[in-house]
Amino acid sequence: MRVPFVDLKAQYHAIQPAIDAAIASVIKDTAFIKGKYVKAFEQAFAEAYGVAHCLGVGNGTDAIYIALKALGIGAGDEVITVANSWISTSETITQAGATPVFVDIDPDTYTIDAGQITAKISPRTKAVIPVHLYGQPAEIDQIAAICRAQGLHLIEDCAQAHFVTYGGRRVGTFGDIATFSFYPGKNLGAYGDAGAIITQNEELAARMRMFANHGALKKHQHQIEGINSRLDGLQAAILSAKLPHIHDWNRQRYEHARRYNQLLAGVEGVEIPVIRREHEHIFHLYVIRSGRREALRAFLAEQGIETAVHYPTALPLLPAYHYLGVSRDDIPVAAAYQDQILSLPMFPELSREQQDYVVEKIRSFMGAS
Amino acid sequence: MKVPFVDLKAQYQSIRNEILPQLEAVCENTSFVLGPFVKKFEEDFARFVGVKHALGVSNGTAADQLAIQSLIRPGDEVITTPNTFFATTEAITAAGGKIVFADIEADSYNIDPEKVAAAITPRTKMIVPIHLYGQPADMDPILEIARKHRLYVVEDSAQAHGAQYKGRTAGSMGDAAAFSFYPGKNLGAYGEAGAVTTNSEAVAEFVGLYRDHGSRIKYEHEIEGHNMRMEGFQGAVLAVKLKHLPAWTDGRRRAAAVYNELFRDVPGVITPKEMPYSRHVYHLYVIRVKDREGLSAYLNEMGIGNGYHYKYPLHLQKAYAHMGFREGDFPVTEKVMKEIISLPMFPELQDEQIEYVVNAVNKFVSK
Ligand SMILES: Cc1ncc(COP(=O)(O)O)c(C=O)c1O
Ligand SMILES: Cc1ncc(COP(=O)(O)O)c(C=O)c1O
Repeated sequence: MRVPFVDLKAQYHAIQPAIDAAIASVIKDTAFIKGKYVKAFEQAFAEAYGVAHCLGVGNGTDAIYIALKALGIGAGDEVITVANSWISTSETITQAGATPVFVDIDPDTYTIDAGQITAKISPRTKAVIPVHLYGQPAEIDQIAAICRAQGLHLIEDCAQAHFVTYGGRRVGTFGDIATFSFYPGKNLGAYGDAGAIITQNEELAARMRMFANHGALKKHQHQIEGINSRLDGLQAAILSAKLPHIHDWNRQRYEHARRYNQLLAGVEGVEIPVIRREHEHIFHLYVIRSGRREALRAFLAEQGIETAVHYPTALPLLPAYHYLGVSRDDIPVAAAYQDQILSLPMFPELSREQQDYVVEKIRSFMGAS
Repeated sequence: MKVPFVDLKAQYQSIRNEILPQLEAVCENTSFVLGPFVKKFEEDFARFVGVKHALGVSNGTAADQLAIQSLIRPGDEVITTPNTFFATTEAITAAGGKIVFADIEADSYNIDPEKVAAAITPRTKMIVPIHLYGQPADMDPILEIARKHRLYVVEDSAQAHGAQYKGRTAGSMGDAAAFSFYPGKNLGAYGEAGAVTTNSEAVAEFVGLYRDHGSRIKYEHEIEGHNMRMEGFQGAVLAVKLKHLPAWTDGRRRAAAVYNELFRDVPGVITPKEMPYSRHVYHLYVIRVKDREGLSAYLNEMGIGNGYHYKYPLHLQKAYAHMGFREGDFPVTEKVMKEIISLPMFPELQDEQIEYVVNAVNKFVSK
């Protein structure tokens, strides 16, 4: 049997008429840039989150960069973020002119260790960017409290956390700004690069719109230098067609994860992800840990099972950040986990047979029966 | 009658049967970002421009930034004109460069090589000529200056797909070039898209790395980069459209010829001048009149699309107030920019539409 890591085609076929119709109407209207499809998605997304402003942008990386610039973060500033994330979270801090300061991860949730944030705050610290990684919310209550107390901006990186709640409240509504990616493989994925930013703050929303549109709110009048970062009409229409399904898809992912957890519980040498009773987890990724990760991964590949590692090198240990002088001892949990984590196939359409097959192969590799 | 400024629908109708199956193929292959459809277009486009490498990126602004950033170091001075879209100068800053303006020629509206020579300092590292409106800048003297002073040249070719300078294609003459495929461009995608073209391995390598977060192999980040990738949809659309570009260019040139002919007897209108060295591709058909604000209002009333490219010289934009420029610093740009107005221009433009536009302009200017 072959089990792909994600299966975007299965989803396309499930909703093909809606997608094809969405594409056809954008083309018929030649509404490729800005236009009504973008506006409609922005409104629907803002409404779904219960926030005042949503801004569609080119992708989730631009989203973070635009948020940082709108908050006035630049040269000489420090921004605290987490040691294990996709590089967008930190490279955008550098691009804004600031310096990333990395905090280790929590050993249970794999998100930023909120207890270590305060110790990293310096007079230059301007903002904190927690990442709700794998679909698991960071301890956002505690992080928001720290930011409030210390007068720091809070940007939530929700690229992997569409519509997940923490204590019943959606993540993305705790900070000043939340950023989203709609990269095709995400829980809510476009058919190309796409992203969004949400905020309750009108002034920030206006500043971000201006920055993302060449620094101009009015045509020809460039107040500042900005960038070109726009959500395509095609992507907006596709996202609008997909939005009504997101809760079902999230639920299906969660059910698959619960089943993985049941089937893998007790397998020696495999650590399964934590599901907390009081907070949701929408399993953008289903990540286990194993001391024999590389061998397990190779074995699964031989059996036709695709896996991935998110991420193989903790951010501060990448060559790009050697200049910061962070050592493994500074981020012991992330440094240890990077060699153990393994993401198993996870997508809403994952079948029982596929899942059973994955579990069976893991068990047989681990010598469990 | 109504004459739109551009009419993307007319074009779509003519290629609909080619485009839709391609978009569906992208969906079936789920190759949404970079991937085989983008690669195919990159190869076709490199051949079309006559260079070794074309790299698909997210838009023309990103293309400008990456082309420039691949060649300069932070703080280097980069010479360009104040008569361009703001993206050109934004990109210089984003790439770490320092913007230095040189004035334009009054007839071609492109960068004036003599003004370039005068703007060179020991910190100058690059010249960014823009092939504005679809007409190549006077590249030979620019390349000569660059050779003499060891400067790089990046051609902003966002408006000049397939334009030629003495038989050489725009985008193939400098160290690198940036293209935009914004939907309204001569070669337009169905969303945002851009490309960098170059013969340099080093430029191609940098752009290839930077557009995808600095990694060649997934998760191995050699440098910090960004997400500036071309989408599969756009690669697929552009590959289809590229085949039609020569015919569309002919359509634009024909429309320009009709305009020129009809305007010949209209005093008070300066029509575009095709320089002897160039094959203009008329991304925009730009005329000059004394009262362009009045003309614009009148054309709007008559249902005729029009625009300013651009409304204000860049050195006088608020974003550059900190540079301390004043009115009078770039007199040619300033004079021209108060008079220019762009008229409807697209390959499918009909003779009756052009006549209607010219009659309206005539009526206004002879009032
Ligand atoms: C945590 C995180 N932040 C940011 C991004 C960047 O999003 P995009 O790929 O849309 O630029 C991603 C996704 O790739 C991500 O997973
Ligand atoms: C001269 C010039 N440079 C750069 C750009 C930027 O291209 P894009 O809009 O694709 O970012 C444009 C087009 O808008 C342009 O006309």
